[in-house]
Amino acid sequence: MFSVKMSSEYCVFMYVALAVRARNYVAFNRSRFLFQINMSKESQMRAAINQKLIEMGERERLKELLRAKLIECGWRDQVKALCKEVIKEKGLENVTVEDLVAGVTPKGRALVPDSVKKELLQRIKAFLSQHST
Amino acid sequence: MKMEDMSLSGLENTKLEALAHDVYSDLVEDACLGLCFEVHRAVKQGYFFLDETDQESMKDFEIVDQPGVDIFGQVYNQWKNKECVCPNCSRSIAASRFAPHLEKCLGMGRNSSRIANRRIASSNNTSKSESDQEDNDDINDNDWSYGSEKKGELMHSNPNSPRRSKSLKHKNGELSSNVNPELYKYNYSSGISYETLGPEELRSILTTQCGVVSEHTKKMCTRSQRCPQHTDEQRRAVRVFLLGPSASALPDSDTMLENDGYDAPDGQLIMSRLQWDGSSDISPSDSASSKASTNNSESKRPKKKKKPSTLTLTTTGSGGERDKGQERERGDRDRVVSGGSGSSSSQNALALSSRKKRPKLPVPPALSIYDDLN
Repeated sequence: MFSVKMSSEYCVFMYVALAVRARNYVAFNRSRFLFQINMSKESQMRAAINQKLIEMGERERLKELLRAKLIECGWRDQVKALCKEVIKEKGLENVTVEDLVAGVTPKGRALVPDSVKKELLQRIKAFLSQHST
Repeated sequence: MKMEDMSLSGLENTKLEALAHDVYSDLVEDACLGLCFEVHRAVKQGYFFLDETDQESMKDFEIVDQPGVDIFGQVYNQWKNKECVCPNCSRSIAASRFAPHLEKCLGMGRNSSRIANRRIASSNNTSKSESDQEDNDDINDNDWSYGSEKKGELMHSNPNSPRRSKSLKHKNGELSSNVNPELYKYNYSSGISYETLGPEELRSILTTQCGVVSEHTKKMCTRSQRCPQHTDEQRRAVRVFLLGPSASALPDSDTMLENDGYDAPDGQLIMSRLQWDGSSDISPSDSASSKASTNNSESKRPKKKKKPSTLTLTTTGSGGERDKGQERERGDRDRVVSGGSGSSSSQNALALSSRKKRPKLPVPPALSIYDDLN
Protein backbone atom coordinates (compact mmCIF):
# COMPACT_ATOMS: atom_id res chain seq x y z
CA MET A 1 0.00 0.00 0.00
CA PHE A 2 0.97 3.33 -0.67
CA SER A 3 1.64 5.41 2.17
CA VAL A 4 -1.56 6.83 3.24
CA LYS A 5 0.32 9.74 4.19
CA MET A 6 -1.41 12.56 2.30
CA SER A 7 0.45 15.65 1.88
CA SER A 8 -1.10 18.65 3.43
CA GLU A 9 -0.72 20.55 0.27
CA TYR A 10 -2.97 18.23 -1.57
CA CYS A 11 -5.53 18.54 1.11
CA VAL A 12 -5.38 22.23 0.93
CA PHE A 13 -5.74 22.13 -2.79
CA MET A 14 -8.77 19.97 -2.63
CA TYR A 15 -10.31 22.15 -0.11
CA VAL A 16 -9.78 25.27 -2.10
CA ALA A 17 -11.24 23.80 -5.27
CA LEU A 18 -14.28 22.77 -3.43
CA ALA A 19 -14.67 26.14 -1.92
CA VAL A 20 -14.39 27.89 -5.19
CA ARG A 21 -16.89 25.67 -6.78
CA ALA A 22 -19.29 26.19 -3.99
CA ARG A 23 -18.95 29.90 -4.22
CA ASN A 24 -19.43 29.97 -7.91
CA TYR A 25 -22.46 27.91 -7.67
CA VAL A 26 -23.97 30.08 -5.10
CA ALA A 27 -23.08 33.27 -6.88
CA PHE A 28 -24.54 32.14 -10.13
CA ASN A 29 -27.69 31.06 -8.64
CA ARG A 30 -27.99 34.24 -6.77
CA SER A 31 -27.72 36.30 -9.89
CA ARG A 32 -30.26 34.20 -11.58
CA PHE A 33 -32.46 34.52 -8.69
CA LEU A 34 -32.13 38.26 -8.73
CA PHE A 35 -32.90 38.41 -12.39
CA GLN A 36 -36.00 36.43 -11.95
CA ILE A 37 -37.14 38.72 -9.25
CA ASN A 38 -36.79 41.75 -11.46
CA MET A 39 -38.43 40.16 -14.42
CA SER A 40 -41.35 38.95 -12.52
CA LYS A 41 -41.86 42.39 -11.09
CA GLU A 42 -42.04 43.82 -14.54
CA SER A 43 -44.21 41.15 -15.92
CA GLN A 44 -46.42 41.48 -12.95
CA MET A 45 -46.77 45.13 -13.64
CA ARG A 46 -47.45 44.42 -17.22
CA ALA A 47 -50.04 41.88 -16.47
CA ALA A 48 -51.65 44.26 -14.05
CA ILE A 49 -51.75 47.06 -16.57
CA ASN A 50 -53.12 44.90 -19.28
CA GLN A 51 -55.78 43.77 -16.98
CA LYS A 52 -56.63 47.31 -16.17
CA LEU A 53 -56.82 48.24 -19.81
CA ILE A 54 -59.28 45.51 -20.49
CA GLU A 55 -61.31 45.99 -17.40
CA MET A 56 -61.81 49.67 -17.91
CA GLY A 57 -62.76 49.20 -21.56
CA GLU A 58 -59.88 51.29 -22.66
CA ARG A 59 -58.51 48.55 -24.82
CA GLU A 60 -61.74 48.30 -26.78
CA ARG A 61 -61.84 52.01 -27.27
CA LEU A 62 -58.28 52.04 -28.46
CA LYS A 63 -59.01 49.22 -30.84
CA GLU A 64 -61.96 51.04 -32.35
CA LEU A 65 -59.99 54.22 -32.65
CA LEU A 66 -57.22 52.41 -34.44
CA ARG A 67 -59.63 50.70 -36.82
CA ALA A 68 -61.32 53.93 -37.74
CA LYS A 69 -58.08 55.73 -38.31
CA LEU A 70 -56.67 52.95 -40.43
CA ILE A 71 -59.71 52.90 -42.68
CA GLU A 72 -59.65 56.66 -42.95
CA CYS A 73 -56.04 56.85 -44.01
CA GLY A 74 -56.43 54.12 -46.62
CA TRP A 75 -54.33 51.53 -44.87
CA ARG A 76 -57.06 48.95 -45.11
CA ASP A 77 -57.23 49.18 -48.91
CA GLN A 78 -53.49 48.96 -49.20
CA VAL A 79 -53.36 45.81 -47.11
CA LYS A 80 -56.27 44.39 -49.08
CA ALA A 81 -54.25 44.90 -52.23
CA LEU A 82 -51.40 43.01 -50.58
CA CYS A 83 -53.81 40.21 -49.79
CA LYS A 84 -54.90 40.12 -53.41
CA GLU A 85 -51.35 39.62 -54.46
CA VAL A 86 -50.87 36.80 -51.99
CA ILE A 87 -54.03 35.18 -53.27
CA LYS A 88 -52.95 35.45 -56.87
CA GLU A 89 -49.69 33.96 -55.86
CA LYS A 90 -51.03 31.05 -53.95
CA GLY A 91 -54.11 30.43 -56.05
CA LEU A 92 -57.69 31.26 -55.15
CA GLU A 93 -58.66 27.87 -53.88
CA ASN A 94 -55.79 27.08 -51.59
CA VAL A 95 -55.29 30.18 -49.63
CA THR A 96 -55.18 29.69 -45.89
CA VAL A 97 -55.33 32.14 -43.09
CA GLU A 98 -51.79 31.45 -42.15
CA ASP A 99 -50.65 32.28 -45.66
CA LEU A 100 -52.34 35.55 -45.52
CA VAL A 101 -51.18 36.42 -42.08
CA ALA A 102 -47.64 35.51 -42.77
CA GLY A 103 -47.60 37.33 -46.05
CA VAL A 104 -49.29 40.47 -44.92
CA THR A 105 -48.66 41.24 -41.28
CA PRO A 106 -45.08 42.45 -41.39
CA LYS A 107 -45.77 44.77 -44.31
CA GLY A 108 -48.97 45.84 -42.72
CA ARG A 109 -47.24 46.85 -39.57
CA ALA A 110 -44.84 48.95 -41.54
CA LEU A 111 -47.56 50.61 -43.56
CA VAL A 112 -49.26 52.21 -40.58
CA PRO A 113 -48.79 55.97 -41.00
CA ASP A 114 -46.83 57.84 -38.42
CA SER A 115 -49.61 60.13 -37.37
CA VAL A 116 -51.79 57.23 -36.42
CA LYS A 117 -48.97 55.57 -34.55
CA LYS A 118 -48.14 58.70 -32.62
CA GLU A 119 -51.65 59.38 -31.63
CA LEU A 120 -52.19 55.89 -30.38
CA LEU A 121 -48.98 55.84 -28.41
CA GLN A 122 -49.93 59.12 -26.84
CA ARG A 123 -53.22 57.79 -25.65
CA ILE A 124 -51.66 54.64 -24.26
CA LYS A 125 -49.05 56.52 -22.38
CA ALA A 126 -51.62 58.84 -20.95
CA PHE A 127 -53.56 55.90 -19.70
CA LEU A 128 -50.50 54.23 -18.27
CA SER A 129 -49.29 57.27 -16.45
CA GLN A 130 -52.73 57.72 -14.98
CA HIS A 131 -53.21 54.23 -13.82
CA SER A 132 -49.82 52.74 -13.11
CA THR A 133 -49.14 52.17 -9.43
CA MET B 1 -31.11 61.61 -4.36
CA LYS B 2 -32.45 63.66 -7.09
CA MET B 3 -30.26 62.12 -9.61
CA GLU B 4 -31.35 58.80 -8.51
CA ASP B 5 -34.90 59.83 -8.68
CA MET B 6 -34.43 61.14 -12.10
CA SER B 7 -32.71 58.10 -13.26
CA LEU B 8 -35.35 56.06 -11.63
CA SER B 9 -38.08 58.01 -13.32
CA GLY B 10 -36.08 57.81 -16.52
CA LEU B 11 -36.11 54.11 -16.11
CA GLU B 12 -39.74 54.29 -15.41
CA ASN B 13 -40.22 56.32 -18.51
CA THR B 14 -38.41 53.94 -20.70
CA LYS B 15 -40.30 51.14 -19.15
CA LEU B 16 -43.49 53.01 -19.71
CA GLU B 17 -42.56 53.65 -23.30
CA ALA B 18 -41.67 50.06 -23.85
CA LEU B 19 -44.91 49.06 -22.32
CA ALA B 20 -46.84 51.46 -24.46
CA HIS B 21 -45.10 50.17 -27.51
CA ASP B 22 -45.99 46.67 -26.65
CA VAL B 23 -49.60 47.56 -26.18
CA TYR B 24 -49.59 49.41 -29.46
CA SER B 25 -48.12 46.58 -31.45
CA ASP B 26 -50.59 44.23 -29.90
CA LEU B 27 -53.38 46.43 -31.16
CA VAL B 28 -51.95 46.71 -34.66
CA GLU B 29 -51.51 43.02 -34.88
CA ASP B 30 -55.09 42.53 -33.86
CA ALA B 31 -56.17 44.82 -36.66
CA CYS B 32 -54.09 42.98 -39.22
CA LEU B 33 -55.41 39.67 -38.08
CA GLY B 34 -58.97 40.89 -38.27
CA LEU B 35 -58.44 42.04 -41.81
CA CYS B 36 -56.88 38.75 -42.83
CA PHE B 37 -59.80 36.82 -41.43
CA GLU B 38 -62.21 39.02 -43.35
CA VAL B 39 -60.36 38.59 -46.60
CA HIS B 40 -60.04 34.88 -46.13
CA ARG B 41 -63.74 34.52 -45.51
CA ALA B 42 -64.53 36.63 -48.56
CA VAL B 43 -62.29 34.47 -50.69
CA LYS B 44 -63.80 31.26 -49.46
CA GLN B 45 -67.35 32.57 -49.82
CA GLY B 46 -66.58 33.85 -53.26
CA TYR B 47 -67.39 37.53 -52.95
CA PHE B 48 -63.92 38.90 -52.72
CA PHE B 49 -63.54 39.76 -56.39
CA LEU B 50 -67.14 40.83 -56.97
CA ASP B 51 -66.48 44.54 -57.43
CA GLU B 52 -64.11 44.00 -60.28
CA THR B 53 -64.65 43.06 -63.89
CA ASP B 54 -62.21 42.35 -66.63
CA GLN B 55 -59.60 44.86 -67.49
CA GLU B 56 -61.33 46.15 -70.61
CA SER B 57 -64.51 47.10 -68.87
CA MET B 58 -62.56 48.68 -66.08
CA LYS B 59 -60.90 50.92 -68.60
CA ASP B 60 -64.15 51.77 -70.30
CA PHE B 61 -65.77 53.10 -67.20
CA GLU B 62 -62.88 54.79 -65.62
CA ILE B 63 -63.46 58.17 -64.08
CA VAL B 64 -62.73 60.96 -66.53
CA ASP B 65 -60.96 63.99 -65.25
CA GLN B 66 -60.74 66.41 -68.15
CA PRO B 67 -61.85 70.00 -68.26
CA GLY B 68 -65.09 70.74 -70.07
CA VAL B 69 -66.33 67.24 -69.55
CA ASP B 70 -68.09 65.51 -66.67
CA ILE B 71 -66.77 62.40 -65.00
CA PHE B 72 -68.54 60.17 -67.46
CA GLY B 73 -66.90 61.94 -70.34
CA GLN B 74 -70.04 63.69 -71.57
CA VAL B 75 -70.00 67.26 -72.71
CA TYR B 76 -72.35 69.56 -70.87
CA ASN B 77 -73.70 71.92 -73.49
CA GLN B 78 -73.25 69.74 -76.46
CA TRP B 79 -76.53 70.62 -78.08
CA LYS B 80 -76.37 74.32 -77.53
CA ASN B 81 -74.79 75.14 -80.80
CA LYS B 82 -76.66 72.66 -82.90
CA GLU B 83 -79.39 73.89 -85.15
CA CYS B 84 -82.38 72.07 -86.48
CA VAL B 85 -84.37 72.76 -89.58
CA CYS B 86 -88.06 73.19 -88.92
CA PRO B 87 -90.06 70.91 -91.19
CA ASN B 88 -92.89 73.37 -91.30
CA CYS B 89 -91.35 76.69 -92.10
CA SER B 90 -87.93 75.45 -93.16
CA ARG B 91 -86.07 77.75 -90.92
CA SER B 92 -83.10 76.71 -88.94
CA ILE B 93 -83.78 77.02 -85.26
CA ALA B 94 -81.51 76.64 -82.26
CA ALA B 95 -81.90 73.26 -80.66
CA SER B 96 -83.00 74.50 -77.30
CA ARG B 97 -85.66 76.68 -78.85
CA PHE B 98 -86.86 74.07 -81.27
CA ALA B 99 -89.71 72.61 -79.30
CA PRO B 100 -91.42 75.89 -78.46
CA HIS B 101 -90.97 77.08 -82.00
CA LEU B 102 -92.57 73.95 -83.34
CA GLU B 103 -95.47 74.47 -81.03
CA LYS B 104 -96.12 77.90 -82.41
CA CYS B 105 -95.32 76.97 -85.93
CA LEU B 106 -97.74 74.08 -86.12
CA GLY B 107 -100.29 75.83 -84.00
CA MET B 108 -100.67 72.84 -81.80
CA GLY B 109 -99.33 73.74 -78.46
CA ARG B 110 -101.22 74.80 -75.41
CA ASN B 111 -100.63 78.45 -75.97
CA SER B 112 -100.83 78.65 -79.70
CA SER B 113 -104.58 78.82 -79.98
CA ARG B 114 -104.72 81.37 -77.25
CA ILE B 115 -102.18 83.55 -78.91
CA ALA B 116 -103.87 83.27 -82.25
CA ASN B 117 -107.23 84.19 -80.86
CA ARG B 118 -105.82 87.08 -79.05
CA ARG B 119 -104.03 88.32 -82.05
CA ILE B 120 -107.07 88.21 -84.16
CA ALA B 121 -109.18 89.81 -81.55
CA SER B 122 -106.80 92.61 -80.98
CA SER B 123 -106.28 93.25 -84.62
CA ASN B 124 -110.04 93.34 -85.00
CA ASN B 125 -110.18 95.55 -82.03
CA THR B 126 -107.79 98.09 -83.35
CA SER B 127 -109.24 97.90 -86.80
CA LYS B 128 -112.67 98.41 -85.37
CA SER B 129 -111.60 101.36 -83.37
CA GLU B 130 -110.13 102.92 -86.45
CA SER B 131 -113.18 102.32 -88.47
CA ASP B 132 -115.12 103.96 -85.72
CA GLN B 133 -113.26 107.10 -86.32
CA GLU B 134 -113.92 107.11 -89.99
CA ASP B 135 -116.18 104.59 -91.38
CA ASN B 136 -114.06 103.67 -94.31
CA ASP B 137 -110.55 102.59 -94.71
CA ASP B 138 -108.99 105.91 -94.92
CA ILE B 139 -105.39 105.86 -95.85
CA ASN B 140 -104.78 109.26 -94.48
CA ASP B 141 -105.56 108.15 -91.05
CA ASN B 142 -103.62 104.98 -91.29
CA ASP B 143 -100.51 106.63 -90.07
CA TRP B 144 -102.24 107.67 -86.95
CA SER B 145 -103.78 104.33 -86.35
CA TYR B 146 -100.76 102.34 -87.24
CA GLY B 147 -98.72 104.55 -85.04
CA SER B 148 -100.87 103.65 -82.13
CA GLU B 149 -100.57 100.05 -83.09
CA LYS B 150 -96.84 100.21 -83.14
CA LYS B 151 -96.75 101.90 -79.86
CA GLY B 152 -98.98 99.27 -78.48
CA GLU B 153 -96.75 96.56 -79.77
CA LEU B 154 -93.69 98.11 -78.36
CA MET B 155 -95.12 98.52 -74.99
CA HIS B 156 -96.45 95.08 -74.56
CA SER B 157 -94.10 92.60 -75.98
CA ASN B 158 -94.97 89.50 -74.12
CA PRO B 159 -98.63 88.67 -74.23
CA ASN B 160 -98.22 85.24 -72.82
CA SER B 161 -96.26 85.99 -69.76
CA PRO B 162 -98.03 85.30 -66.52
CA ARG B 163 -97.42 88.74 -65.19
CA ARG B 164 -99.70 90.20 -67.72
CA SER B 165 -102.65 88.16 -66.67
CA LYS B 166 -101.98 88.72 -63.01
CA SER B 167 -101.98 92.45 -63.24
CA LEU B 168 -105.10 92.55 -65.25
CA LYS B 169 -107.15 90.03 -63.40
CA HIS B 170 -107.86 92.03 -60.39
CA LYS B 171 -108.62 95.11 -62.36
CA ASN B 172 -111.69 93.84 -64.02
CA GLY B 173 -112.65 90.88 -62.02
CA GLU B 174 -113.45 88.97 -65.10
CA LEU B 175 -113.18 85.28 -65.11
CA SER B 176 -111.12 84.98 -68.19
CA SER B 177 -108.21 87.26 -68.39
CA ASN B 178 -107.86 86.56 -72.01
CA VAL B 179 -110.60 88.88 -72.94
CA ASN B 180 -109.32 91.96 -71.25
CA PRO B 181 -105.85 92.24 -72.62
CA GLU B 182 -107.07 91.42 -76.02
CA LEU B 183 -109.29 94.36 -76.03
CA TYR B 184 -106.83 97.09 -75.61
CA LYS B 185 -103.35 95.90 -75.42
CA TYR B 186 -102.16 93.73 -78.18
CA ASN B 187 -102.13 94.35 -81.85
CA TYR B 188 -101.48 91.53 -84.16
CA SER B 189 -102.13 91.27 -87.78
CA SER B 190 -102.85 87.61 -88.16
CA GLY B 191 -106.35 86.41 -88.54
CA ILE B 192 -108.62 84.35 -90.67
CA SER B 193 -109.35 85.51 -94.13
CA TYR B 194 -112.66 84.22 -95.28
CA GLU B 195 -111.73 84.35 -98.92
CA THR B 196 -109.36 81.48 -98.62
CA LEU B 197 -111.66 79.14 -96.84
CA GLY B 198 -114.00 76.61 -98.32
CA PRO B 199 -117.63 76.46 -97.39
CA GLU B 200 -117.25 73.59 -95.02
CA GLU B 201 -114.50 75.29 -93.17
CA LEU B 202 -116.45 78.48 -93.14
CA ARG B 203 -119.40 76.73 -91.69
CA SER B 204 -117.34 75.07 -89.04
CA ILE B 205 -115.68 78.30 -88.13
CA LEU B 206 -118.91 80.19 -88.07
CA THR B 207 -120.55 77.72 -85.78
CA THR B 208 -117.82 78.03 -83.25
CA GLN B 209 -116.52 81.51 -83.60
CA CYS B 210 -117.84 84.97 -83.92
CA GLY B 211 -116.67 85.32 -87.46
CA VAL B 212 -117.55 88.91 -88.00
CA VAL B 213 -115.43 90.34 -90.73
CA SER B 214 -113.39 93.27 -89.70
CA GLU B 215 -113.63 96.15 -92.05
CA HIS B 216 -110.10 97.12 -91.62
CA THR B 217 -108.33 93.87 -92.10
CA LYS B 218 -110.97 91.86 -93.88
CA LYS B 219 -110.50 89.09 -91.41
CA MET B 220 -112.89 87.15 -89.33
CA CYS B 221 -113.16 87.57 -85.66
CA THR B 222 -112.01 84.41 -83.96
CA ARG B 223 -113.48 85.10 -80.62
CA SER B 224 -116.39 83.25 -79.22
CA GLN B 225 -119.97 83.60 -80.31
CA ARG B 226 -120.54 85.96 -77.49
CA CYS B 227 -117.67 88.25 -78.09
CA PRO B 228 -118.59 91.67 -76.92
CA GLN B 229 -117.06 93.43 -79.83
CA HIS B 230 -119.65 92.35 -82.27
CA THR B 231 -123.35 92.21 -82.16
CA ASP B 232 -125.44 89.25 -83.06
CA GLU B 233 -126.66 91.18 -85.98
CA GLN B 234 -123.19 91.44 -87.30
CA ARG B 235 -122.66 87.78 -86.86
CA ARG B 236 -125.83 86.93 -88.61
CA ALA B 237 -124.96 89.26 -91.41
CA VAL B 238 -121.63 87.64 -91.88
CA ARG B 239 -123.17 84.25 -92.00
CA VAL B 240 -125.72 85.29 -94.51
CA PHE B 241 -123.03 86.91 -96.53
CA LEU B 242 -120.70 83.96 -96.48
CA LEU B 243 -122.99 81.03 -96.53
CA GLY B 244 -126.02 82.22 -98.38
CA PRO B 245 -129.19 83.78 -97.09
CA SER B 246 -130.87 80.65 -95.89
CA ALA B 247 -127.81 79.03 -94.50
CA SER B 248 -127.21 81.25 -91.63
CA ALA B 249 -127.41 79.08 -88.61
CA LEU B 250 -126.39 81.49 -85.98
CA PRO B 251 -127.60 79.84 -82.85
CA ASP B 252 -128.27 82.89 -80.88
CA SER B 253 -129.85 85.64 -82.67
CA ASP B 254 -131.91 84.30 -85.52
CA THR B 255 -135.12 83.84 -83.71
CA MET B 256 -134.67 87.03 -81.88
CA LEU B 257 -134.22 88.85 -85.06
CA GLU B 258 -137.34 87.36 -86.44
CA ASN B 259 -139.24 88.35 -83.41
CA ASP B 260 -138.20 91.86 -83.71
CA GLY B 261 -139.05 91.90 -87.30
CA TYR B 262 -135.71 93.22 -88.00
CA ASP B 263 -134.35 92.53 -91.38
CA ALA B 264 -130.65 92.58 -91.37
CA PRO B 265 -129.21 93.50 -94.68
CA ASP B 266 -126.02 92.05 -95.95
CA GLY B 267 -122.81 93.79 -95.47
CA GLN B 268 -122.53 96.42 -92.90
CA LEU B 269 -125.33 95.81 -90.50
CA ILE B 270 -123.97 98.13 -88.03
CA MET B 271 -124.71 101.21 -89.95
CA SER B 272 -128.33 100.38 -90.00
CA ARG B 273 -128.36 99.42 -86.42
CA LEU B 274 -127.67 102.72 -84.98
CA GLN B 275 -131.18 102.79 -83.73
CA TRP B 276 -131.77 101.18 -80.48
CA ASP B 277 -133.58 97.93 -80.59
CA GLY B 278 -134.73 97.89 -77.16
CA SER B 279 -131.62 96.55 -75.75
CA SER B 280 -130.93 97.81 -72.40
CA ASP B 281 -127.63 99.47 -72.52
CA ILE B 282 -127.02 100.88 -69.23
CA SER B 283 -124.95 103.94 -69.06
CA PRO B 284 -122.71 104.19 -66.11
CA SER B 285 -124.80 106.92 -64.67
CA ASP B 286 -127.84 104.80 -64.98
CA SER B 287 -126.28 101.68 -63.76
CA ALA B 288 -127.38 102.09 -60.25
CA SER B 289 -130.92 102.86 -61.11
CA SER B 290 -131.36 100.41 -63.82
CA LYS B 291 -129.57 97.57 -62.20
CA ALA B 292 -132.61 96.47 -60.39
CA SER B 293 -134.66 96.57 -63.49
CA THR B 294 -132.11 94.69 -65.44
CA ASN B 295 -131.90 92.11 -62.77
CA ASN B 296 -135.56 91.64 -63.01
CA SER B 297 -135.33 91.46 -66.70
CA GLU B 298 -132.73 88.80 -66.45
CA SER B 299 -134.91 86.58 -64.44
CA LYS B 300 -137.80 87.03 -66.71
CA ARG B 301 -135.83 86.61 -69.82
CA PRO B 302 -137.04 83.96 -72.19
CA LYS B 303 -134.90 81.01 -72.88
CA LYS B 304 -134.25 82.06 -76.39
CA LYS B 305 -131.05 83.67 -77.25
CA LYS B 306 -130.76 87.34 -77.03
CA LYS B 307 -131.08 89.63 -79.88
CA PRO B 308 -127.99 91.66 -79.99
CA SER B 309 -128.27 95.31 -79.58
CA THR B 310 -125.93 97.87 -80.75
CA LEU B 311 -124.29 99.83 -78.14
CA THR B 312 -122.90 103.16 -78.05
CA LEU B 313 -119.85 103.03 -76.06
CA THR B 314 -120.16 106.20 -74.24
CA THR B 315 -123.42 105.29 -72.77
CA THR B 316 -123.22 101.72 -72.00
CA GLY B 317 -121.03 100.14 -69.50
CA SER B 318 -122.37 96.78 -68.82
CA GLY B 319 -123.08 94.94 -71.93
CA GLY B 320 -125.09 92.19 -70.80
CA GLU B 321 -128.39 93.19 -69.61
CA ARG B 322 -130.87 92.79 -72.27
CA ASP B 323 -134.20 91.27 -72.17
CA LYS B 324 -136.49 91.25 -75.05
CA GLY B 325 -139.69 92.27 -73.56
CA GLN B 326 -138.75 94.79 -71.01
CA GLU B 327 -135.84 96.12 -72.82
CA ARG B 328 -137.92 97.84 -75.33
CA GLU B 329 -139.36 100.07 -72.77
CA ARG B 330 -136.17 100.65 -71.08
CA GLY B 331 -134.44 101.03 -74.35
CA ASP B 332 -136.60 103.97 -75.09
CA ARG B 333 -135.79 105.51 -71.83
CA ASP B 334 -132.14 104.85 -72.33
CA ARG B 335 -132.29 106.27 -75.72
CA VAL B 336 -133.58 109.44 -74.33
CA VAL B 337 -130.82 109.52 -71.86
CA SER B 338 -128.25 108.83 -74.41
CA GLY B 339 -129.82 110.99 -76.99
CA GLY B 340 -127.34 113.72 -76.51
CA SER B 341 -124.51 111.45 -77.14
CA GLY B 342 -126.23 109.79 -79.98
CA SER B 343 -124.25 111.57 -82.58
CA SER B 344 -120.97 110.70 -81.10
CA SER B 345 -122.12 107.28 -80.36
CA SER B 346 -123.03 106.71 -83.92
CA GLN B 347 -119.44 106.91 -84.74
CA ASN B 348 -118.74 104.38 -82.15
CA ALA B 349 -121.57 102.19 -83.15
CA LEU B 350 -119.36 99.92 -85.04
CA ALA B 351 -116.95 99.64 -82.28
CA LEU B 352 -116.61 97.12 -79.66
CA SER B 353 -119.03 96.31 -77.15
CA SER B 354 -122.30 95.19 -78.22
CA ARG B 355 -122.75 92.64 -75.66
CA LYS B 356 -124.54 89.50 -76.27
CA LYS B 357 -126.48 88.83 -73.21
CA ARG B 358 -126.32 85.55 -71.43
CA PRO B 359 -128.22 85.26 -68.27
CA LYS B 360 -125.28 84.67 -66.16
CA LEU B 361 -122.53 86.75 -67.56
CA PRO B 362 -123.01 90.44 -67.60
CA VAL B 363 -120.11 92.14 -69.19
CA PRO B 364 -118.81 94.67 -66.75
CA PRO B 365 -118.97 98.32 -67.48
CA ALA B 366 -115.28 98.67 -67.48
CA LEU B 367 -115.01 97.11 -70.89
CA SER B 368 -116.90 99.73 -72.71
CA ILE B 369 -115.14 102.46 -70.94
CA TYR B 370 -111.88 101.25 -72.25
CA ASP B 371 -113.37 100.84 -75.64
CA ASP B 372 -114.37 104.37 -75.51
CA LEU B 373 -110.87 105.39 -74.80
CA ASN B 374 -109.75 103.71 -77.96
